[in-house]
Amino acid sequence: MSAKAKKINGRAETILSIEDISLSFGGVQAIRNVSFNIKKREILAIIGPNGAGKTSMLNVINGFYHPQKGTITYKGEKCHDMRPHLAATQGIARTFQNVALFKGMSTLDNIMSGRALKMKQNVFWQMIYYGPAQKEELEHREFVERIIDFLEIQHIRRIPVGKLAYGLQKRVELGRALAAEPDLLLLDEPMAGMNSEEKEDMSRFVLDVNEELGTTIALIEHDMGVVMDLSDRIIVLNYGQKIADGTPDQVRNNAEVIDAYLGVKYD
Amino acid sequence: MEMLYAIFAAPFIDMFSDPVFFAEVVINGLLTGIMYSLVALGFVLIFKASGVFNFAQGAMVLFAPLTLVGLMEQGVPVILALIITAAVMVLLAFLIEKFMLRHLINQEGIVLFMATIGLNFLLEGVGQIAWGSNVKKLDVGIPDESFEWGGILLNTFDIAAAVIAAILVAVLAVFFNKTRIGRALRAVADDHQAALSVGIPLRTIWIIVWSVSGIVALVAGIMWGTKSGVQFSLTLIALKALPVLILGGFTSIPGAIVGGLIIGMGEKIAEIYWGPLFGGAIENWFAYMLALVVLLFRPQGLFGERIIERV
Amino acid sequence: MLYRETGQFKTSYASDQAIFPLVQDRWFIALVFVIAFAMVPFIANEYWLQAIIIPFLIFSLAAIGLNLLTGYAGLLSLGTGAFMAVGAYATYKITTAFPDINLLVVFIMAGLSAAAVGTLFGLPSLRIKGFYLAVATLAAQFFILWLFNKVGWFYNNNPSGSITAPPRTMFGIMISGPEATPMVRYYVSLIFLVVMGLAAKNLMRGRIGRSWMAIRDMDIAAEIIGIEPLKTKLLAFAISSFYCGVAGALFIFAWLGSAETEAFDIFVSFQVLFMIIIGGLGSILGSILGAAFITLTPIFLTNFPPMIGLPIATDLSKHLEEIIFGALIVFFLIVEPLGLARLWQIIKEKLRLWPYPY
Repeated sequence: MSAKAKKINGRAETILSIEDISLSFGGVQAIRNVSFNIKKREILAIIGPNGAGKTSMLNVINGFYHPQKGTITYKGEKCHDMRPHLAATQGIARTFQNVALFKGMSTLDNIMSGRALKMKQNVFWQMIYYGPAQKEELEHREFVERIIDFLEIQHIRRIPVGKLAYGLQKRVELGRALAAEPDLLLLDEPMAGMNSEEKEDMSRFVLDVNEELGTTIALIEHDMGVVMDLSDRIIVLNYGQKIADGTPDQVRNNAEVIDAYLGVKYD
Repeated sequence: MEMLYAIFAAPFIDMFSDPVFFAEVVINGLLTGIMYSLVALGFVLIFKASGVFNFAQGAMVLFAPLTLVGLMEQGVPVILALIITAAVMVLLAFLIEKFMLRHLINQEGIVLFMATIGLNFLLEGVGQIAWGSNVKKLDVGIPDESFEWGGILLNTFDIAAAVIAAILVAVLAVFFNKTRIGRALRAVADDHQAALSVGIPLRTIWIIVWSVSGIVALVAGIMWGTKSGVQFSLTLIALKALPVLILGGFTSIPGAIVGGLIIGMGEKIAEIYWGPLFGGAIENWFAYMLALVVLLFRPQGLFGERIIERV
Repeated sequence: MLYRETGQFKTSYASDQAIFPLVQDRWFIALVFVIAFAMVPFIANEYWLQAIIIPFLIFSLAAIGLNLLTGYAGLLSLGTGAFMAVGAYATYKITTAFPDINLLVVFIMAGLSAAAVGTLFGLPSLRIKGFYLAVATLAAQFFILWLFNKVGWFYNNNPSGSITAPPRTMFGIMISGPEATPMVRYYVSLIFLVVMGLAAKNLMRGRIGRSWMAIRDMDIAAEIIGIEPLKTKLLAFAISSFYCGVAGALFIFAWLGSAETEAFDIFVSFQVLFMIIIGGLGSILGSILGAAFITLTPIFLTNFPPMIGLPIATDLSKHLEEIIFGALIVFFLIVEPLGLARLWQIIKEKLRLWPYPY
């Protein structure tokens, strides 16, 4: 167990607790009595075969889907289901499997839109622009520029994101999520469709965000190398049920996990 | 108080005190509704098969009978004129595919919709230049006599329209559900590129669909044209089709009929029984308000498919 | 060579965010302003002002209003005519009831009335999306016009059924009524367009503009990052209707002088929609270019054939107009779905390289 993991498991508080969640669509049961928790500042990976309910799980966490059963406790507040707006105001941000960027806007605008909750100036000042609205705009622009620096996407600032390559789009989406200064960041297959260089970059970003900003991260990922290297803990879902929950070492040697997903003992 | 009575009580009392008249209003409303359905049918066909909301349907409902009348005025006998007009509509479909649709493959729905707006103007302009813009009388030989049935005043023409519409719907429903081409049309509506990639001849399909829709427009245009003369305002009927489509769903053929019936009946009843209260002409907006109210309860319309959004 | 931006480095975010970051653009705009404010009213004759330029300015304002709603926020509206009517009739009622109020205040109040009505008809947008929402605006279009026709109170029960702009002043200058000169009315329309156009541009480059575009592009994602869909959409309806309302007020008071509800019927709604389609959805400049195109083309078509010796009957020319419009719309959508504004951008990009080909 890594030093950090020990430290986390030892004394960190729980930021998110999922208790006995069940979710179904019509006749299809996507999630069955799943419970787990996420500790502050840790990186939790959710893995499992396709259709296991991983994305649905994230959707439940940030309020897009509403479970039929179970509770979510976030930052100490218990509730039966989340609402997207509530999740956003409480510091949950996420990226999506199929890049949900605003295709008509530039990179800069997309990331700026992530600051939406923090910008307050009303319509009239906005129309005049000079004055409080401009001041606010420039403040947030500075913040966003730091994110752009961090993600190394300065050169595509003004390009409409619809025109960017898939890998870059994913980076922009990460930027938009970071712009909200989240406490909990949900990443849905952030490395999908990337080559190994891009994956290294992305992993570096994820680690930096976690270590420097202290952001808790939950990510869904299929690349086992990435998962084993990045995560402090792993949860394995299969057919909507949790079949394992532990450190990378524990999970990679778990027989049920190997059967359902990994195939061979992963070294 | 008086107002409340007048709105919520009096009209219903009127309805029940003269049931024969009420039945007449309902039936005439339904028959008008059939005419709306015929127009809506054209929309449904094209939307079902190519995912395009054809704003120019109204212009087609004008253009087709205009051509027919134009030919008949030149002395061409009715049957021949009908055949030639049908052929013209097929040619039109061919041209639309060649000069417009082909270049807009896989563009977003809104772009295609706007293109059909442009097409609408084109057709209106061409039709009126070619055949003149006066109101024209149209008579294809369908008997137009009033008669009484159980005390209710009816019209042979309206009955004929209903029968024709029923036949048309039955034929189209079979065509879409049972034939190979029907299946291909449904595939195209879903995803142009995917359909292309499995070898469906997109262009042929489009030509077929727009032709059929053109012929439906011809039938609808003949019905409306005989009733109220072939004139420019026919294109406004197309706007009325929108509430019909909302009630009936954009892709359902039986839905277009049901939607049309409901709108036709609703409009008539509202106009006769509530109209005088408000000075008349409620028909102008009633259909849209009705559709709006329906949408508030069922955002996908009465027959539409529930859209589940996945992220 | 002329249009290079070399040497123009932005040293602050403020200058980077400016509406016209390039010096050449600023010179160009300054020139346009000089022409508009100082030259046009003295060069153009009354006919040109009255029949062409003033309506162009007013329609530009309406087009900007519609573009805010449909181009930026992605909410298709077929009710522009009705919202303009609300502005016009509200102005009429307020100013006939309170003749001493400064017309500027009346216009603003009329705009707010239109905003209220627009918000009301925008409420369904919580449940209804995309194309279906257009039906709500259609309902507004037909219902409002019917209301203004039937209920005498709206036109002060005068027997002709139409509303006429009484002579009114703004800051002491006669703006409406038979004594108001075209030049004055031109300046009023121009000032409203410039001020409100600038306000719109400012709005669109800030938080609100981004939230509208977010709703337009993917409203689910927008909701997830914290943008509230209903509030955002209602604001879009409100502001858009405000613009259309003021345009409607100017329509009667600064241009036509009097009109019936027909002046604001469904065809006007379509006209404005075409302006923003041809001009460019999601572009303030595009709205103005589109308005210019649609107001000028009929004039051109009526006047051009006689100029080259080809007399065309008015009937025929109207139909020809329709054909050309239709063909142009289709042409634009095939070639440049983003409209005249995009074409203008492309021209500028080519200018950057000129005289080199690439």
